[in-house]
Amino acid sequence: MEANKNRRAVKVGLFIFLGLVVLVVGVLAIGSIRKAFGRKVTAVAIFEDVEGLQAGNNVWFSGVKIGTVQKIRFYGKSQVEVTMNIEEKSQEFIRQDAKAKISTDGLIGNKIVVLYGGTPSVPPIEDGARLAVEQAEGTEQMMKTLQENNRNILAITSDFKAISARIREGEGSVGKLLNDESLYRDLEATMARLQRTADNAQTMSASLARFTSKLNQRGNFANDLVTDTTMMPDLRVAMDQARATITQLNETASTADAMVNNLKQTTERIQTDTDSPVGVLLNDRQAAADLRSTLDNLNSGTERLDGTLEALQSSFLFRTFFRNKAKQQERDERQARRENVTIKKGVEADTAKTPVRVELIYK
Amino acid sequence: MSKPYVISKKADTFFYGIYDAILFIGRFFKEAVQPPYEFHEIVRQCYEVGYRSLPLISLTGFITGIVFTKQSRPSLVEFGAASWLPSLVAIAIVRALAPLITALISAGRVGSSIGAELGSMRVTEQIDAMEVSAVNPFKFLVVSRVLATTITIPILMLYCALVAMLGAFLNVSQNEETNFVAFWESAFDQITFLDVWASVIKAIVFGFTIGIIGCYKGYYASKGTEGVGKAANSSVVLSMFLIFIEEVIIVQIANSIRGY
Repeated sequence: MEANKNRRAVKVGLFIFLGLVVLVVGVLAIGSIRKAFGRKVTAVAIFEDVEGLQAGNNVWFSGVKIGTVQKIRFYGKSQVEVTMNIEEKSQEFIRQDAKAKISTDGLIGNKIVVLYGGTPSVPPIEDGARLAVEQAEGTEQMMKTLQENNRNILAITSDFKAISARIREGEGSVGKLLNDESLYRDLEATMARLQRTADNAQTMSASLARFTSKLNQRGNFANDLVTDTTMMPDLRVAMDQARATITQLNETASTADAMVNNLKQTTERIQTDTDSPVGVLLNDRQAAADLRSTLDNLNSGTERLDGTLEALQSSFLFRTFFRNKAKQQERDERQARRENVTIKKGVEADTAKTPVRVELIYK
Repeated sequence: MSKPYVISKKADTFFYGIYDAILFIGRFFKEAVQPPYEFHEIVRQCYEVGYRSLPLISLTGFITGIVFTKQSRPSLVEFGAASWLPSLVAIAIVRALAPLITALISAGRVGSSIGAELGSMRVTEQIDAMEVSAVNPFKFLVVSRVLATTITIPILMLYCALVAMLGAFLNVSQNEETNFVAFWESAFDQITFLDVWASVIKAIVFGFTIGIIGCYKGYYASKGTEGVGKAANSSVVLSMFLIFIEEVIIVQIANSIRGY
């Protein structure tokens, strides 16, 4: 009986102990999640409107829960002072110029205080620090914006409605495009042409690819042109020379041009100035006839002179003179032939080197 | 000739009952603080009331956790807020379901047994026999039982909450593939100390109610076997009724503290 009582007492003790363990674990879990334990600092922010924020709501910084709202009370005329408990280990990350705003954890979630911003150069907050506030857009303002959006969407859809009606009636470019058969055919033809153009472009690009592949083959001119670094200076010199030649040719051509102009002027003058000797020669038929008769006269004069001279040769007075003259001429010729033969002999030893010259001299 | 009743027979009986109950409660507190203490009897009652109720409470809590999660899911999914399921279930279990289920199950199981036991002792005049044999029947029978229910029902409530949360986790992990840590964090994110302490206090009040009503009904059971059944029945009905009333009052107080 006593042992049975003891067993019962142990079971009851165990039952109560485990129940209390559950309670303690639960309390600790809540405490750790709600950051109830651990050292804290307080920060204060004064809002125009807290939008239903309550004591116990969470405080977030960069999306991490760092504390809870400790107290909410009115401040000034209608402002609200929110006192926040912030865990000490997060204190160093919250700068004095950080801002606070009211937000929600989700679209329809609980209200939270969001701390954000802050520059690293500014020191961290102290206990009891007062944070600047940005009045966030509340649900009401969000709904207002949504309402405006709805109105805009309505206006846009009305416009679209009008546009689609016009399109259906075949008005405007798009309407014609959709309703006009001929336009469609034109478009089809254009598309066919575009297709052909695309085919051509494809062929061209294939050719271009072949060409570039050839261009990449070593040894051909194009490749050398692209890759051979020694060719360029040569080409440049050749180009300079060609440029100089062209300049000279230009000068020659301009000289020739001037010459032609002079010739042209001369011929014009010849043609126009009939009084000049050449003009007279070319243009005046009378002068030509005169010239011809003069030449005829000269011809007959020389014939007569030949006869006179022959008569003089046969005359005894001048016969000796003419005979001496003939003898002298014969002597000169002989002398000259002798000199030529001497030169030929002197030069014969060198005939293998200069045969042409010897022959010329001989002649 | 003076009137036999102040208001009517029924009304007079009702108000006399209240007066009697207040006297009974007053006597309980008086006897509870006065030595000698019946430790062995208290342990025995704790074993009977608490330890032996554990399987029933655990099973009920587990099923409640699963069913409540299952039934809450469609509404939350409709809002695209299925991720709130652990929070919702945890709030419901800790704030309301665990104390209420524990109290109602205990009222049915423990309250009726106390009522029947004490009623039959009264009917068979065992209580009277104890009185004449210099044993304080009130201390031995009533104080030990009321203390046992007051102590063990909060403990049972904690077990119930734990098991119900496990049931909820089982369902959530099956459907949303949430791991235990995520579920735990999400569940406890919305629970405050006030919720836990309010529930514990609630369970203490419920335990006291179940014990005191059972003892009162059994202690003052009328003569005859019919009285035993009546005592058992009325102790369950009255304690359940009072549990709901207390629930409303405590929720109001907790919410006023919370600031709602």
